[in-house]
Amino acid sequence: MKLGTLFKDAWDALFSEAATEPYPNPHPDETERLRGRLRWNPEGCTGCSLCVKDCPAAAIDIFVLDKKAKQFVMRYDIGRCTFCGQCMQSCRFDCWQAANDDWSLAATTANGFVEYYGKEEDIERVLAGPVTDDPVKV
Amino acid sequence: MTQPANRKRFTVPIGPQHPALKEPGHFAFDVDGEIVQSASVRLGYAHRGIEKATESRTWVQNLYLLERICGICSHIHATAYCLGVEKLAQVEVPPRAQAIRSLVAELERIHSHLLWLGVAAHESGFDTLFMYSWRDRETVMNILEVMTGNRVHYSANVLGGVKYDVDDQQAATIREGLDFLEERTLHYLEVVSTDSLFLQRTRNIGVMDREAAQLSGVIGPTGRASNVQRDVRLDSPYAAYADHPITPVYETTGDLLARFVVRLREQLTSIDYIRMLLDHLPNSPLTTRMPRRVKAGEAISRVEAPRGELFYYIKSNGGDMPDRIHVRTPTLCNIASVAQLVIGQHLADVPMILVGIDPCFSCNDRTSVICQDGQRDMWDWARLRQYGIDHYGTHYTKDLG
Repeated sequence: MKLGTLFKDAWDALFSEAATEPYPNPHPDETERLRGRLRWNPEGCTGCSLCVKDCPAAAIDIFVLDKKAKQFVMRYDIGRCTFCGQCMQSCRFDCWQAANDDWSLAATTANGFVEYYGKEEDIERVLAGPVTDDPVKV
Repeated sequence: MTQPANRKRFTVPIGPQHPALKEPGHFAFDVDGEIVQSASVRLGYAHRGIEKATESRTWVQNLYLLERICGICSHIHATAYCLGVEKLAQVEVPPRAQAIRSLVAELERIHSHLLWLGVAAHESGFDTLFMYSWRDRETVMNILEVMTGNRVHYSANVLGGVKYDVDDQQAATIREGLDFLEERTLHYLEVVSTDSLFLQRTRNIGVMDREAAQLSGVIGPTGRASNVQRDVRLDSPYAAYADHPITPVYETTGDLLARFVVRLREQLTSIDYIRMLLDHLPNSPLTTRMPRRVKAGEAISRVEAPRGELFYYIKSNGGDMPDRIHVRTPTLCNIASVAQLVIGQHLADVPMILVGIDPCFSCNDRTSVICQDGQRDMWDWARLRQYGIDHYGTHYTKDLG
């Protein structure tokens, strides 16, 4: 039977560094596999839309303007994304990558949470109105 | 001194919203002075409709929905679901993926038990232990982040395998963290079993012998503290537990102290088990091909979550979405024992006894409608919503008098 069994821990803690990490300055180090903001690389994309079908949060959407010419626009809603990494798993051509250095995504406004990837003229076409060439519906 | 014959019992209601409760649940304790005479438990305040929601999502999407049933034991929910779906689809998961599933599950057990140690210490007023155990829990959270990229919802599982491998550098990081955790766990084991002030709050409090534990169907570490020798990892091995059996931990006294000791000793066995797995990781691919449509049929899967046996029932009609998924979490089995354990105890010990089973209310809430006349009865969303409005409307009216 003892008393003050954690006294030594408390005493040692007086002379050791804080257990908490400072944030946001300096920014804590990221681990290699940390899943942050997703980035889409259109080069390998075939427009199969498996990533869209598998996304559990309906955070991504693909607009197929011309499948043969590989004209796609990807819409990514960071506000909906749960960073589960299933899109990276589903894609056979490694088009999706999670940036491990871009994870501090909180904002004071809802603007800027939706991103469009693709050629500028294609994005403008998608934003202008409904796309007639067989858009993939989610 | 004689007691007046007309002395009335006093009922102390706690919850569903109460500063002492981290999650909603309702408890009514009949007290005579300081001593609890009887108790009742009521759940169902955090029903989230997850089972119904699974029916409108694909097999892949459901993995992430079900993982979010619990924020503490997320990996084991995903594992139970994966095991069930893989059984239905008759898919054999590669051995390395099975080992990594067990590895993450044991890391999760350490993190869950350390979290519980902190919460239980806080309820007893031992906030120093709470702070230090949670500081040390960061070590295992960091290991999980290094391995999977996330601290809470690791998403290590996919249907047909796992997403993440363990390389030598990560194995070294894990071993280093485990050495620190082993030293701290041994220290906490000494603290909880020798600190005289803490022992006054735990020794011979909430005692449940083996017969009582079996009668109320208690499972997991709570049962093992009462020498109920049940552990799904041994009784019905899954993942890597078939090839590498785990050493079970039992205590015989069945009091709160035993529940502390069992969980801390389980952490030590988990640490040893992870070291052994890292030494014997088989070489194989991480995933195998999984069909998008799962063969029609029914499957159950049982796994040992940090709190006890977790049970999944999965039914497929051959499509790309499940026909029915039912989840039974360990808290449902353990919560009824609280009503028995608190009888004859001081009211001040009630929070400790409640925390002793490691309850997780929000993971636990399900709805079942039993049709006694044998008639099939379908409830659509509109009817369910109206039922909710009527039910809570009546209760509020009653409460307001």
